[in-house]
Formats: sequence, C-alpha cells, structure tokens
Amino acid sequence: MTRVSLQQLFSGFIAAFCLALSCKGAPDFEKEVAPILEAKCLSCHNEHDAKGDFVLANRGQALGFENGIVPGNSEASLLIKMVSGDEPEMPKKSDPLSPSEIETLRAWIAKGAVWPKDRILADNPKRDLDWWSLRPIQQGAFDERTLLDRKISPVDFFISKKLAENKLTPVSRAPAEVLIRRVTYDLTGLPPTPEEIDAFLKTPDWDSLVDRLLASSAFGEKFAQHWLDIGRYAETHGYDKDKPRNNAWPYRDYVIRSFNSDKPYSKFVQEQVAGDVLFPGEPDGVVALGFLAAGPWDFIGHQEVGEGKLDGRIAKHLDRDEIVSAVFNVFQSATVQCAQCHHHKFDPIRMEDYYRLHAVFSAVDRADRVYTGLPPDQEKLKLTLQKQIGELQAERRKIDTDAKRVVAAKTSGLDRRIAELKEKYGSGLKPQYGYHSTITSRQDDEKWVQLDLGKSRGATEIRMIPAFDNYGGIGAGFGFPMRFRVEVANDAAFKNGIRILLDATGVDFQNPKTTTIKVEGDESRFRFLRITATKLRERKNDYIFALGEVEVLNEGGAENFALGATVSAKDSIEAAPRWGRANLVDEIFYRELSNDAALGELRDLQEKRDAIEQKVRPADTDSRLAAIDANLKPLNEKFKKIPSGEMVYAATAHFTSAGNFRSTNGKPRVIRLLHRGDMTTPGDVMAPGVPALWKGATDLFFEGSDWNEGDAREKLASYLTQHDNPLVWRSIANRIWGWTFGKALVETQNDFGRGGMQPTHPELLDFLAAKLRDDPGQSMKSVVRLLVMSEVYRRASGHDEKNAEIDAGNAFFWRANRRRLTAEEFRDSVLVVSGKLDRTMGGPSFSDFIIEKPQHSPHYEYHLHDPNDPKSHRRSVYRFVVRSQPNPMLTTLDCADPSMSVPARDESTTALQALTTWNHRFVEAMSGHFANRLRKAELETSEAKVNWAFRLATGQSPTDTEKQVLIELLDEYGEESFSRVILNLNSFVYVD
Amino acid sequence: MSIERRHFLGSLGGGFSSLALGDLLARDGVLSGTLHRPPKAKRVVQLFMAGAASHVDTFDYKPLLKKKDGEPWDPGEKVELFQSTPGACFGSPWDFKPYGESGKMMSDIVAPLGEVADDMAFVHNVVGKTGVHSQGTLLQTTGFNFPGFPSAGSWVSYALGSENENLPSFVVLPDHRGLASNGAKNWANAFLPAQYQGTVIRPGNEIPIADLFAPESKFITDRNDRAGLDALSKLNGLHAAARPGDDRLTARVRSYELAAAMQLSATDALEVKGEPQYIQDMYGLAPEGQGVDDSGTINEKAETEFFGRKCLVARRLLERGVRFVQVWSGNDNGFPRRNWDSHGDVKRDHAPLALGMARGASALIKDLKQRGMLEDTIILWTTEFGRMPCSQGSKGRDHNPFVFTNWLCGGGIKGGTYGESDEWGFRPQDRGSETSVYDINATIMHQLGIDHERLTVRNNGIDRRLTDVHGHVLTDMVA
Repeated sequence: MTRVSLQQLFSGFIAAFCLALSCKGAPDFEKEVAPILEAKCLSCHNEHDAKGDFVLANRGQALGFENGIVPGNSEASLLIKMVSGDEPEMPKKSDPLSPSEIETLRAWIAKGAVWPKDRILADNPKRDLDWWSLRPIQQGAFDERTLLDRKISPVDFFISKKLAENKLTPVSRAPAEVLIRRVTYDLTGLPPTPEEIDAFLKTPDWDSLVDRLLASSAFGEKFAQHWLDIGRYAETHGYDKDKPRNNAWPYRDYVIRSFNSDKPYSKFVQEQVAGDVLFPGEPDGVVALGFLAAGPWDFIGHQEVGEGKLDGRIAKHLDRDEIVSAVFNVFQSATVQCAQCHHHKFDPIRMEDYYRLHAVFSAVDRADRVYTGLPPDQEKLKLTLQKQIGELQAERRKIDTDAKRVVAAKTSGLDRRIAELKEKYGSGLKPQYGYHSTITSRQDDEKWVQLDLGKSRGATEIRMIPAFDNYGGIGAGFGFPMRFRVEVANDAAFKNGIRILLDATGVDFQNPKTTTIKVEGDESRFRFLRITATKLRERKNDYIFALGEVEVLNEGGAENFALGATVSAKDSIEAAPRWGRANLVDEIFYRELSNDAALGELRDLQEKRDAIEQKVRPADTDSRLAAIDANLKPLNEKFKKIPSGEMVYAATAHFTSAGNFRSTNGKPRVIRLLHRGDMTTPGDVMAPGVPALWKGATDLFFEGSDWNEGDAREKLASYLTQHDNPLVWRSIANRIWGWTFGKALVETQNDFGRGGMQPTHPELLDFLAAKLRDDPGQSMKSVVRLLVMSEVYRRASGHDEKNAEIDAGNAFFWRANRRRLTAEEFRDSVLVVSGKLDRTMGGPSFSDFIIEKPQHSPHYEYHLHDPNDPKSHRRSVYRFVVRSQPNPMLTTLDCADPSMSVPARDESTTALQALTTWNHRFVEAMSGHFANRLRKAELETSEAKVNWAFRLATGQSPTDTEKQVLIELLDEYGEESFSRVILNLNSFVYVD
Repeated sequence: MSIERRHFLGSLGGGFSSLALGDLLARDGVLSGTLHRPPKAKRVVQLFMAGAASHVDTFDYKPLLKKKDGEPWDPGEKVELFQSTPGACFGSPWDFKPYGESGKMMSDIVAPLGEVADDMAFVHNVVGKTGVHSQGTLLQTTGFNFPGFPSAGSWVSYALGSENENLPSFVVLPDHRGLASNGAKNWANAFLPAQYQGTVIRPGNEIPIADLFAPESKFITDRNDRAGLDALSKLNGLHAAARPGDDRLTARVRSYELAAAMQLSATDALEVKGEPQYIQDMYGLAPEGQGVDDSGTINEKAETEFFGRKCLVARRLLERGVRFVQVWSGNDNGFPRRNWDSHGDVKRDHAPLALGMARGASALIKDLKQRGMLEDTIILWTTEFGRMPCSQGSKGRDHNPFVFTNWLCGGGIKGGTYGESDEWGFRPQDRGSETSVYDINATIMHQLGIDHERLTVRNNGIDRRLTDVHGHVLTDMVA
C-alpha cells in the first residue's frame, strides 16, 4: 500500500519536474550534469577502472557504448535504467541518486546529451566529513563533578550506561591476588614478586599499587613495546640482504624515556615528525625521527640501483609510501595509502592529498644522522661539506657515465671478446694478493720492502708484478709506486755495498697495470733485494705501497730464488689471506691471461678499443674529471677531520652517500601525482599538504613552489596536533584503552574511516580524547591511571552464561578479558622466574642469534645462540629485532611483524606453540636455572617447594589437586623436569 | 553508505569464548564447506627458483638469439639493466629439442621434464614490476612487491584449512644453504592469523621442524618428558575446568596432544628411507644424502640430491594432507653463490641448477601421476623474474623483469603454451595481453574452488586479496 502510493507520488513529482524543465531548456552540462556524473559514476566508470567497459570520462567513450546514452531518448539509455527504479542497480558504492539528479540526467539526454568535445570528467567525490571520527569531539555528556562527588569513575559511568542498555549485569570484582597480577602485567609486562603480592594482600591499597607501577621504569618498557609494534620498529632493513641497523636503538630508548617521563602527547607526536625543526638543540628532537625511519628499507633498490633508474625510483616511491602510511595510520588512524591509485573509496581522501604527503617527505631518506656529541658549528660545517661533496660527486659521476656510455655503444662487440678471453685464459684473482704497506696521508712517505734470499745469489732478472685489488674500483696496478728504486746488497741493513739496479725516482712512473716490470741483474751476486717507494700511489684519498709478487730469476729463468724468501718491510698490513709480506714471494699473483696467443689477441683488441675510445670519448672528459677531483680533495680532507658524534638511524635530508644512495641535502625531490599509482604515468607536480579531514583543516601548506622541507614537516606536525583535529586524540585515547584492557573501543585501531569499525562506546572515547587533549600536561599516564582505577578494569574474568548469550565477545566489558602473555612477556617472565632477568635499561640491543656470513647477506642463526649467555638475559624490548628472519620462538608466540604496523597482537593457539614452549632451548636452559633457584631456597618439604615455585610463576597458590600432581612430579623426576612443567602451565601463560 | 562487513581480524582477545575449539586449532578454513565453486584441485606445490632463472635457456626457445649471437642487440628501445649496460646478443649455450606429442621445444638442461612435457602449461609472457630481487620475490610469493602481505600459501591455508591436523597446512622447504631474498617474509602470514604462516621443514636435519623434539639436555629423558606432559595435561585441564566458557584454555591442553601427534606424523612424512629404491633413484637422491659434496662451483649431483629430496618430501607431505608446499632452489647471494642469479656465467651455473631441478620436478609430476594425485594437485614453477637475451660480460645475463616464464601442471590444468614472449625473449609478444602473477594466482585459486575476488580480509581499511585489485583466470588453461 505504502509502496504504491509512494510510486504514484514519485511519478507525479517527476511529471511536474519534467514540465518545469522543458520550460527551462536542457540542463547545463558543466553546471548540472558533470557534477552528478563525477560524484556518482566516475569512481568506477573512469578510464582506468572502466567497470563494465562503460567509461564516462569523455564524450567519445560515453556515447560510444552501445545504448549507454542514447541522445534524445532517455528511456532507451542504460544510464537512466541503471540509476532509477525502486532498487537502482547503480551506483554500487554510494547512495542512490536523488529524484532530481535522475531527472536532470533524463532531461539532459532527452535534449540531445550535449557534451562539450574537450570536457573530460574525472572521479571527483565531494569531501564527505559526515562520519563519526571526523566530527568534532563531543563533550559534556555528563556532569563530571557530580560523578566525582559520588565517587563514580566517569569510565564506569559510560560503561555501566551501555551495560544497562544491553541488559547486561557486570560480574563482581576479581580477587586481590588476581588484580595485582593483572595490573602488574598490564602496566609493566612483568609478574609481581611474591613479596609484592603479600604486601598487597595485607594492605589492598589499589591507589598506591597503581601509582607505584606507573612510576616504575618497567612501565615505559612495557608501553614502549606497544608503540614499537605500531611503529614497525626493527633493527635490520628487511628485503634483500637484510643488513643490520646498528644505530636504530636510540629511538627505542627515546620511546621508553618518553613514556616514563610522561611526555605531553602533542610533543611526542611533533618530535616524531619534525623534532629537528621544532626543537633544535634537543637531542630527542632528532632521535624521535627514528619513527619515520623505523620501517623496512630496500637496500638494493636504493643503494645498488638508485634513482637514476626506474626501478630505483619505484623503490623510493614505495619507501615514501611506507613513511606516509605510517604517519597517518599511527597518529590519525586514517588510511591515506588507499588513495595511491585512485581517490579513497570510502573516506574523504583524494589522490592529491596522498601525493601532497609524498611532497612533505620528498627530501628525507632513512639513514644514520648525528643527534648529539657534535658542536653546532661543526655540524653546520659538516652539512655544508656534505652538500658540496655530494654535488661534485654527482657531477663527476655524470661526466664519467656519459663518457662510458658513448664508448660502450661502439665497443660492445670488442668488449665481449675481451671478456671472453679473460674468462677463458685469465687465472683470475686468487685471494693471496701480495704485500701492502700501512696507509698514510702523505704521498712522499717513503716505504720499502726487502727480500732475504738466504744466501748470495747471482740473478739475471728481477721481476716486479703489480698487485690487483678492486678496492675503490682500482684493480690492476693497485698501490704500484709512482717513483721507486730497486737496490741489492749483501748487507741486510743496506748500509754498505749498495748497488742500484733501477732508479725510477726522477719522474712519475705510469701505472703499469698488469704489465710485469723487469729489471736486469748486474752480474754480481747479492743476498738482499730492497724496493723503495719514494712517491706513493693514491688509493682513495690516501696513499699506499703494494706489490703483487717479486721474482728473482737465474740465467734462463729456470729458478726463482725469491720463492719463499724472508720478506721484511718498513711497515706492512698483515691481513690474511689477501695481504701479507709472505704473499710477495708465493708465486701467486694476478695474471691477466695464461696463454700467449690469447694475450696477443687481447692486446690487439685493447689497442683497437683504446683507439675507438680515444675517438669517441669526449675530449675534455679527463680534464674535467681531474678538475673535479682537485676540488674534491680538500673538501674530503676537511670532512674527515669532523668528529662523528652519536648517531641514530632516522629520517634525514643530510647523510653520507653510499653507492647510488645519495642525500638530497634538503632539496625536495619533484613529486608528481601518479595516475593509477604508476611511475610511468606521472601527472601534475604536487606541493606539500594534507587531506582536510575535518571542518576548517587546511590542505595545502604553502602558496607557490618555494618551500623548505623542514617547514613542510613542521606544518604536518602542527596539523597533526591541532586542537580541533578530531582523529589524533581519538586515535591515542582508543589505543590507550586497548593497551590497558586488551581490546580497543574501536577494534580497527589504524582505521577510523568508513572501512573500519565503529566505537562500541563513542561517548566514552570522546571523553577520554578530550581529557587527554585538554590536560595541560597531556599526560598519557593519567589516562592509564583513570582506566585502571575504574571498577570495570577490576572485574573478574569469569564466565557468565546469561551475559554471554547477549554479548559473547564481551564488547561491552561486563567482565575482564583473560589474556595470554605476549611473546615478550612470556620470555621476560621465564627469565624472572628463573632468577636470570637482567634489568639493565637502554643502550645497544642484545642479540639472541649468531650472525654468519655478515659480508653479504647476514644469516641470523638463532639456533647457534647460547641461551645461557647472560648478555641475552635482558628484557625482550632490548632485543635486536631482525626483519627477514625474526626470532622463531617469539614469532610462533604471535610476536608483531615489524614489516607492518601492528595495533594489537594476535592470540593464536597452535601445536607449534606447544612444541616451542615445551622444547625450546631457552625454556630448557631456564628450567635448569629455575631448578637451581628452587634448590637454593632451602625449603624443607616437597610441598613447600611446590607452593613456592607455583606462587612465583603464577601469583597464586596451588589447589590441593594441583599440589598433589606437582609433588609427585617433583619427587619422582627432580627440580628440572618440574620447572619445565611450571613454565608450560596455563596458569603461568594466562592472566585472569 | 553501507559497506559490507567482512572478516575483521585484529584483537581477538575478548571474543574467543564464542568460537568452537576447531577454529582455534585451525583445521577448517574460512571457506571449508562453502567454496565458491566446485574445486578441481585440493593442494598446491610452488617450486621457486631463487635468484631468477633464465627463461631463454630453459623453456622459452629463441632461435634468433643463436643466429645473432655476438652481434649487437637492438630491441628498438632504450634498455635499462639492473647491473650492466646491454651487451651483445647471447644465444643459449644449449640445444633445444622437441618433446612430447606437442613437440614443445625445451633446452637440454631441462630435458628430464621432456617426459611430462604434454602435461605442462607454459606461460612465456609473465611480467614483473621491477628487476630488484627482493621485490620480485615478494611479488611472486605474496602478490605485492613490498613486505606486509600474506604468502599465497597462507591465503590458501586460510581459505581451505588443513586435511591433517597433525601437520601444518602450509609447509616450506627452503634451500638448506640459506634463505632467499626477504627470508621468512616469503611465507609470512602478515595480517592473517599466525597459524597460517608457512612452517619451515628441513628434511635431513636432526630436528626438521623447530622444537619438534626435546633439545640436547642434561636432564630431559624420554621418561620425564612423557611424565611432564602427563602432569601438564592434568594441571592445564584443571585450570581450564575451573574457568568454564573459555575455549582457549582447553585448546591449549589439546595443542600439546596435537604436538605429540605431529612428532609422529612429521617424522613419518619425512622418512624417505622407506621409499623403494626405484623411487629414490627417480628423484635422484644421492646415497650420501645432504652431505653430498657441494664445494667448488655449483654441481649437478648436489643440486639433484637437494632438490630431488625436497620434491620427494613434498609428495609425502601432500599425501598426508598438507595443503600448500613451497619448495626452494637457491639461497641468498652470499659467497659462494648457490642460486640462479647468473650474472657471471649462465653456462656454469644454470646447467647443474636446471638439471637438478628438472629431475626432481619431473619425478614429482610422474610420481603424483602414478598415485592418481596429479589430477587434484597443482604444481607451479616460478622465479622472481627472467634473464636478458643479451650478455653481461661474455657469459652472464642480467635481470629481465619485462618477461619470463611460469609453468603449471596438474589440478585440471591443460598442457600447452599460453602466452608467448617476443622473438628475443625480451618482452611479451603481445604487449596488450601479458600475464601477471595475479592471473596465475587467480587461476590457481579458481581450480581450488575459490573466487579470488571474494577471498578478502580487511586490513587497515582495505579489503585485501592475494590478487590485489587485479587478476583474471586463465580460462583457456582450465577449460
């Protein structure tokens, strides 16, 4: 009945509307039609998505689809059919079109569907801010004063309200021994000691217990772990090779320190985005930027490939995406990353917003930077030098690569044959390179190396074979002196009877590369041979003397008297297997080719190649390179003299280049909007900005294109911590609730958008958000305190059939949530119970693995680590976290994956966990320590031992039945087996 | 605006009491009993060639390269290579011969697969995204070229669960010489529950699964081990009984029983000594086992033993209900290199690797066939990308993410060739219709009875799928 009348009403309305329209003429495409299509259709029917092959981007495509739009006949047009009717099929992803919108389209088609030829439509959703998380934070839902007078926690007020609404009756308060264990774990991640339990049972003063825990340094350690989980913190890069980040830990300590000192939340946020700009001179302002850098980094993509190639630019784009996503997921609980390929499908975030955020971070990379220990003037000098050196190096590289490219284009055929000959006849590089002097900064530092042939010999030829080392790309002729002389004598000290066989000290000697230098003997016999370098060859901004081999040959070359001779030198580097005095006379050296015919061919080819090179290589290449080198030298020398300071791995625009990974020196990269998120289809240049996610929020940071990267991050920091930003306060309030209660009010903690879940207690969430925001100290601790002081926190975790029927998942907190210890809590608790936990705070992380093959791709071998190593007995938050090969035990126990932001730990129950907690070497070792501790306690009876151990591990006394089982076990199998069982108890791993 | 609520995963802290015990121990997948279509296949083996196997030296025959060998290579566009500048045209060092009724041309170094050529479905126009190992590897294992996404094996386990609760549903057999690029990220569960992560099994190790047995210990004996577990079962049972309504607690009691069962099942599954000699020979197992000489350059005997043993173990695991097995050939790029990344010498390195792989893979296909299991087991051969038609130095090949080869076999997949590369093996022949990892994964899921667009999990605001927002079932291959 209702339906019919509605329909009638509807058609009547349309008829009237048509009439009105026909008077008015055709709807204006630009003003009336395009906005509807862009808002309602283009998100799917654009050029990229082309859903159903129907594209509404331009006239040709729109009218080209058969019966899609039939000019002059709206009823025959599929467009109208799809959007009208009782249950219109379109749009799929938003509200139906209004009758007037439908009528506009109808009239537009009826009047000929006029569409200007050049008008291209794009997906253009309006910013719909009408969503719970984007509305202003609501206050004043109750009179706080009255509640306080009645001694009711506002937390309980809101929770009780919902419970009553849902006809739920809260369970009673948990017993004291349950409460102290729960709150101690929740606030410190550690179990209470038996003495602490006794004291609390005697005087159950909840206030002072809570205050003691909040004031303990373990509070920061526990809450920092929560933050590091969302901050995707680890100490290796991830991806290929997975190299360690040895300077990541200061950020971890910063987080612990911040929670312990109860840093105002605004400042905590600001420091992590723009601390270097906002708080100059404060080390924490720099260390905090470890947040931006904490996620994975593609070493190969940045350092080996680099931004000169498309693959390197893709790596850099993904890298920035990781940073941008982290900032918004963590601080704003907003999923900006969804707007990379198209406008956000649910939330008011446009592609432009997303790429504006890329622009904010366009000048920074992840690298080591100084946070303290370097005076400001030195730091300034360092930055200047870094910049100058970087620019010169870039210029040098360009000249060099351009020249090489030109040559390579003409020589690829020759090059292949040359490579082939070398492959076939080259003896290759054996590891015993030769003799290597110490390194010096002075080119005229005289060095010598000397052979003792054992007895006087008559030699006809002395051969000096240059060394070969690819260090610094030098290769052949490595360290061969620029000027030198060859002398022989029968006096080891070279005081008397010296004969000079070759004096090459007058002019510079061209690098012989792979050519052997032959020196004729002078007929008379000698026992000692000395080669003295008077002018050294440059290595890399320093100087050395190196030689691959020396041979002393008799007539006809049949015997080499030098083989195995005793070698002495003014100084030498003994670095087996490569360098060492003995390697000078071992007949092992780099031979270019072993076959003479091949060598002849090679020389021919090389000559041809040289000729081509000379012809095509730009003539001024060498002089330009030399000029740059001359400029670089003094800069490098100055740079080396600056002290290194204390480093943290953080976001930075200034760092020392490595391979193709180069600092921007503060100059922002050009960021373009990428159509479909594809690097090969760039669009407009984007300037720094943010999504305007609440009424009155800005979107663009600067007018014009002249801006500074630090200022952009500063603007972002101030956007994030603005008073009227509804997301940031709700986000952290929700997290604090989740960290305290084990389940957040909005379960999708990183997504408060339309794709996420909604708060179970919106008023409560807003109350907490406003409380934190408006607190002059913006104290997170005081929010935690407020929560744990409530009745709802102190409820028992027991089951209740009636409540469970209504709310099995405990969404409304009628009981407390029993939880399992997290992976770290389990490990830390095992250490506590075994009496092994080392409470040392801060500093470099301990390793619970042995690194094998560190040179290339480190293998992190956990099974080789000795669980009894006391260095590894610190709290798990100080563990060196490896990304690609995470600790297997902790991973099995649902440890966070540091490649992504993890707002809540999963809690799975698997057979592999049982295997781990039962059989892991760590648990075995700690069972041994626990057993020793038990014996040392000098308890008389088995019963006393069982009581003591059980209480230590579980915070409770065993029941009679439990006691009986444990006594039998202890008596029959001893303390170790007993301890192993204790560490596997449900009552140990679960917190009621 | 209404948005369909799908699976929210995250904190499950409070919601356990409503779940059945079976859910906790993950025997069932989310689609158990509610598959999107009747399945043709039940399980998957993914053979992964770490380091990037050369397609033009194995399955993708390019006579033009041989013809132009040594001549300058001009594909008509600027080519940007990973390590080098493009060298001359480089013909494959091996002969190609026709195999099977179809006369499929395959290289001498994969000749052992010739016997089953007609069962294999070749896709020669697979394209990647970049030529960076880590990204390419992640793309093939997780469908995304950056970390943070579940492995295909995790998705399949999540959807279908396990057929044997005493074994993990997703097993990984890594190269025992080291993990490939990204390490364990290639079999991570990411935002799926932890029970769907790949479990590493190292056949031949004393303890093939981490912590499967008690460690070396001064105090643990068989007797006190058993007594301890008995006591634990009683104590944890009492604990659970005192706290009714919380299935997690009983599940944990049960998890120890399953662990014990797994000790037996896993031991039994990995015990290849009982296999008849002809089977061991077919897989190319060496009498000295994993201790076979692997010094010096890569050698054929060792590669055959290593890969063959993993294939044989894979078959035994599949027989026992494991859902997804990932088998790796090749480790990281450390020294000495033991993978397919043949920048320096394709001939020296690819011959032993490919012959070892081909023998094991061929044996696996034949063995599954003779047991009637090939019809519902899909085998996928893949790698992070291909290698260039031009030379690097005189004997090597650089990375080619622009085109490479995958092949599939079994599980209702029809033999044949689907998609060609161009005459060089440089890019897809038809640039409009190349094949992506999404298409391959969509096809595999299709055969498993899963609509790849409908298996989603919401994470950080997006309904995530194995196939991202892409993927078309290769219908010709499965029709």
